[in-house]
Amino acid sequence: MRGRHELRVESAHLRYDMTFLRNITVIQGDSATGKTTLVDMIREYQLNGSDTGISLVCDLPCRVLEGSTWEEQLSYIKDSIVFVDEGNRFVSSVDFARAVRSSSNYFVIVTREALDNLPYSVTEVYGIRSSGRYGRLEPVYHQMYRIYGDEVLRNGGDGLLITEDSNAGYDFFSAATSGADITCISAGGAGKIFALLQKLGTNVDATVVADGAAFGSQMGRIHQLMQRRSGIRLYLPESFEWIILASGILDDKEVRDILERPHDFIDSREFFSWERYFTSLLVNKTDGTWMQYSKTRLNPVYLQGATKSRILSILPPTVREALDAGC
Amino acid sequence: MLTAFFGDMDDVVYNTAAYFKYNLQPDWLEDPFVQQMILGVDHSRVLGNGAIDSPVLGVIAPVSLSGGVKALILIDRVPDRVFNASNCGDNCAKWLLRIGARQDVTINLRHIMDFGDEPFELLVANTGELVTSMDELVPIAGRYV
Repeated sequence: MRGRHELRVESAHLRYDMTFLRNITVIQGDSATGKTTLVDMIREYQLNGSDTGISLVCDLPCRVLEGSTWEEQLSYIKDSIVFVDEGNRFVSSVDFARAVRSSSNYFVIVTREALDNLPYSVTEVYGIRSSGRYGRLEPVYHQMYRIYGDEVLRNGGDGLLITEDSNAGYDFFSAATSGADITCISAGGAGKIFALLQKLGTNVDATVVADGAAFGSQMGRIHQLMQRRSGIRLYLPESFEWIILASGILDDKEVRDILERPHDFIDSREFFSWERYFTSLLVNKTDGTWMQYSKTRLNPVYLQGATKSRILSILPPTVREALDAGC
Repeated sequence: MLTAFFGDMDDVVYNTAAYFKYNLQPDWLEDPFVQQMILGVDHSRVLGNGAIDSPVLGVIAPVSLSGGVKALILIDRVPDRVFNASNCGDNCAKWLLRIGARQDVTINLRHIMDFGDEPFELLVANTGELVTSMDELVPIAGRYV
């Protein structure tokens, strides 16, 4: 499945408006914001349709997945938006991750747990905000808001550059900071960044560059750490390959169109996360050319003068300044 | 004392809403502390006879309370069981601390709950360490969730 899908669910007193862009959306936040009520309304509509007085408008069927028979239920659900409320233990299982990976559905999961087996984006972690009050003529109106915003790109973090991976992304940033005051190291995986920051102590002064497209499960604890350590800056592009594509060095109209509306091009059945799609796109677009890209080892051409400068120009000013200051 | 085990745990009531639905005792809602929690988290008032006035949903049954406050009520009223407190949002944290100040309870947390900026006391069951602030809690809890 691909595309942007909008949902409106409405009863006499409540209204929810939501937009889903990727295969996995996570809803969390404070208690009593209406998360379970949303899932209840969808379940009621699924069971009893318009008899409930609930109005549900979406271009796709909406279903609720729950309980120990979830695998059997899911085997009958295709091309739908599947909601899972909190209290369903299976969401953190390897079996569920496997089912999501090959599914034609989008999944909306209500949980505060870090789902380490699922590569969900840090931009698709939402809370629900409501306005209005019961008893007035207008229904209480619920909308989603992003839990994690751009405040992560704050000042500080000029002493060390930590990359999530140890492959091409690390090769690039390592070379870009070569001979400079700022040191580049690899964390050896997203799941190791928290431990590394811990090891660096309370006076840590580091910029972390990680793949935002699959960083959702790490964000809770990293965010908590950042609340307490001012010297951590976090930059979360979709992926390193996305940075290269967005820099425009390929000068390719199709790439520009894709980056404008990735959700219209990325099929969740083929790509578990957007990060994997962008890698595939870059490999395919450069195949057989002088810019041939390999994720395991960076083609040195990406480190040459103008090319390197254009890639660096995509970085946010605070991150670029940290590199410039280092250089 | 409030004790928290972080991460996956055996013998925990994970689906607190289901447990609440089939184990709710009528006298629980008569307890003033439970009524305060319902007011504090859900902004709802217990009317008596099991009816609750919600500012969003109107007059509701106890099973329609938020997942967070249902978990809080279970933690307070069934202290010999361990419940999944990750069904509680951060706006439940101060109530968990108040429950812990009244009695010894153990909860299971599968995320880092924000207990706020004020000093508190929480025993981390994974390591046996007593923490008194988020500065102390985050580095320990982050190893497990």
